Amino acid sequence: MRVIGPVLKGLLYGAVGYVLGGPVLAAAVRAAGGSFPFDLELAAGSVLGTVGWLAGVGMWDVWARGWFGLPLRSWPEEDGVARYFRFTTDHKVIGIQYLVTFLGLLFLGGALAMLMRWELMRPGMQLLTLNGFNQVMSLHGIIMIAVAVAILLGGLGNYCVPLMIGAHDMAFPRVNALSYWLTPPVAVMLLASLLVGGWDSGWTAYPPLSAVNAPGQVLMIVAVVIFGLSSILGGINFLVTIARMRAPGMTWGRLPIFVWSVFAASLLSFVVTQYLAASLLMVLLDRVAGMSYFHFARGGTPVVYQQLFWFYSHPAVYIMIVPAFGAALEVITHFARTPLYAYRWVVGGFLGIVALSTIVWAHHNFTSGMPDWMHAPMLATTEAISVPTGLVFLSALGTLLRGRLWLRTPMLFALAWVWNFLIGGITGIFNADVATDLHLHDTYFVVAHFHYTIMGGEIFALLAAVYYWYPKITGRMYDERLGRLHFWWSFLAFNATFLPMFWAGLHGMNRRIADYPAALGGVNLWTSLAAFLLGASFLVFLYNFVVSWVRGPRAEANPWQASTLEWQVPSPPPVENFPAPPVVVGAPYVYGIPGVRHAVLGAAGGSER
Amino acid sequence: MRVGVLAAWWVVLTGVLVWAASRFQGFPLAAAREAAVADHAFRFLTLMASPVFALVVVALLYSVLGRRGQGDPPEPPPYVPEHPAVPRVWFALTAALAAYVIYNPGLVGLAEMREVPLSQLLGGSPGGRVRLASLGGADGDLVVRVRGSRWLWQFEYPEQGVTARELVLPVGRRVRFEVTSTDIVHSFWVPAFRTKIDAVPNLTTYLHVTPTRTGSFEASVDLRVQCAELCGVGHALMASPVRVLEPEKFDAWVAEQARR
Repeated sequence: MRVIGPVLKGLLYGAVGYVLGGPVLAAAVRAAGGSFPFDLELAAGSVLGTVGWLAGVGMWDVWARGWFGLPLRSWPEEDGVARYFRFTTDHKVIGIQYLVTFLGLLFLGGALAMLMRWELMRPGMQLLTLNGFNQVMSLHGIIMIAVAVAILLGGLGNYCVPLMIGAHDMAFPRVNALSYWLTPPVAVMLLASLLVGGWDSGWTAYPPLSAVNAPGQVLMIVAVVIFGLSSILGGINFLVTIARMRAPGMTWGRLPIFVWSVFAASLLSFVVTQYLAASLLMVLLDRVAGMSYFHFARGGTPVVYQQLFWFYSHPAVYIMIVPAFGAALEVITHFARTPLYAYRWVVGGFLGIVALSTIVWAHHNFTSGMPDWMHAPMLATTEAISVPTGLVFLSALGTLLRGRLWLRTPMLFALAWVWNFLIGGITGIFNADVATDLHLHDTYFVVAHFHYTIMGGEIFALLAAVYYWYPKITGRMYDERLGRLHFWWSFLAFNATFLPMFWAGLHGMNRRIADYPAALGGVNLWTSLAAFLLGASFLVFLYNFVVSWVRGPRAEANPWQASTLEWQVPSPPPVENFPAPPVVVGAPYVYGIPGVRHAVLGAAGGSER
Repeated sequence: MRVGVLAAWWVVLTGVLVWAASRFQGFPLAAAREAAVADHAFRFLTLMASPVFALVVVALLYSVLGRRGQGDPPEPPPYVPEHPAVPRVWFALTAALAAYVIYNPGLVGLAEMREVPLSQLLGGSPGGRVRLASLGGADGDLVVRVRGSRWLWQFEYPEQGVTARELVLPVGRRVRFEVTSTDIVHSFWVPAFRTKIDAVPNLTTYLHVTPTRTGSFEASVDLRVQCAELCGVGHALMASPVRVLEPEKFDAWVAEQARR
């Protein structure tokens, strides 16, 4: 009770908020003779419910009371497992909260994928109804998008960035806690949408479909807007933290590459996320306020939504993948035992990706009926993004070729990232090229492409990073044999699942369909069987992750003998991270250079090796 | 020495990939001029990607097989300063390659797809008049109005005064599709034609296709109109058969439809 008390209180306040903002308000307005559509009831209820949840879970006690001149209440920082279930401000706690929550959602999204592959195993309908398939597909899509946006930045970014730059915490610890505690209502709303008819418009929620479908769509819209708020707050926090909280001597040119990648991605999430909120709020206004932005019967213009939506949602893939680049390069340089090759060029590559990613959006719209003149420039900017991305490959390959490779589990996953993202990147050109994309758009070729980039690229880099930082975060060592088993199993099953999808897409298998022509039966049967194997491989990871945390051997401070700051403090690090601010005196990756150091730790700590 | 070995393996693997890509025949049925343009661009991109793919794979394999260290962890190799020319050359080469791929098959393929000269790709650009509807190049020999509704397709031949639920086209004539929707967004796609355009309510979009061989849905599943934009419950099943006929058979079909 002591442990989950704040969560129960949050649920109670949230339920009260929902009832007041939804049914009660609606009944009052209706009693006064006004009209109050059910969609509006859902939207207002879930917004007020989220406010209630935040207040109950601790934001009122540790933060908001101060706004009204009341004394704040606080909890002890060191309080065992209880601190993971309340409004704790320690970045390491928040990192673990994010990581565990979104790993849970990753498994849920994966289970939904298994359902879809079961349905698609054979032509005809197996398990689901047509509408049921669309709902499962939509839920899989939005959950995985949320996971991809939040798991690396929110999880490992929160945990590692302050440690890596020698800070005691993030710049705005309470905003950081707010960012995290906004996400459970998002998950609840997405799942609760199934109770009010679900929604069937995919994660992209194109109107007019999303303006006229079941009320579940409203919960999806509110959930995504709240998730976007969390993302913007997180972005601001990382930007300020990295700009202002670096230890003495930690110049921009000495930042570990993962920190640079978090900075670049945060810049994007800060600048572009509002476009997603704007586009979805316009759909909501069409539904609840009788607006006619997109509604077909009222003369709306649906193609405008698609432009606005992709103005966020294409940069969003770089919010997902750039931190993965940073994490993979981080692992590669430590496990190649040599400094990161072409460091400054990679940083330039990250910033080049950030800049270019905001002017490529309409390559999602080549077949949408947008003006013809936009095809050529969007094709050009999209393909130009391969140049800064190429610098990431230059750095990875240069580091590998100059290094002495230590093939532990993190490195294996980082090497798999090179392979997977190579295929994902090259096939991206086929989607950017108008002559090929007019056919490939909205087919399984695209499905295969973005699973190679986001799952094969980001999630494999995430796994590399999770295994890499596992001993630091948990203070325990994972099982290396199970790690290797997970690697080989998931790497082979991943490629067996998604490589044939390129062929299926080329041969007329379009996206988001519950059924397909019988001629495509063979490739779908193969894909489904491989997908089940891929899903099963993650059970090995789950077992290793959970059991090692409980029973694994104690990890030393620096099991990888890595040079960056987070490894110079105990595993797990104390609440204050560093006993005194460390002084950074050199580049982050000092391997093979005798007598050169990255940092000198304060004498008070005594943790200096 | 090391560079020589790498280069040799790179050349060999590139050669194998180029050979395989140039012989690749695994396309679906190609039944239109646009399909030939798309397949050519697809094959050409595969060829262009071959040296890039080969370079990364060779470097990856070489480092795993040849640069594996001993020990836990391996002793770091002595640091060798980076040669500043390498990233510059890499940047210049990748930029040149990207620029070429943007030009060909990018812009060249786009112009071929639309049957317009390269100089007209920016037609209707901000300097001129911005039009919300896609123009799709020069006009066609035959107009077909396509209407998507949840969850069926309707094809109207205004010049012939015929309306049908299957798409019947004469071979060799340039068809101008005028596509719209009565409710939500659908997408008009014939896999054997390799092109699609969304059917958008309150908007007419255009697509031009010149069928180049006769055939029917019964003979090839690629000859079907498939909705390619998620449109709710019936999306997966929103398909109509396509028949491409000799011109005289098409005329006979029109006459038969007109009698009904």
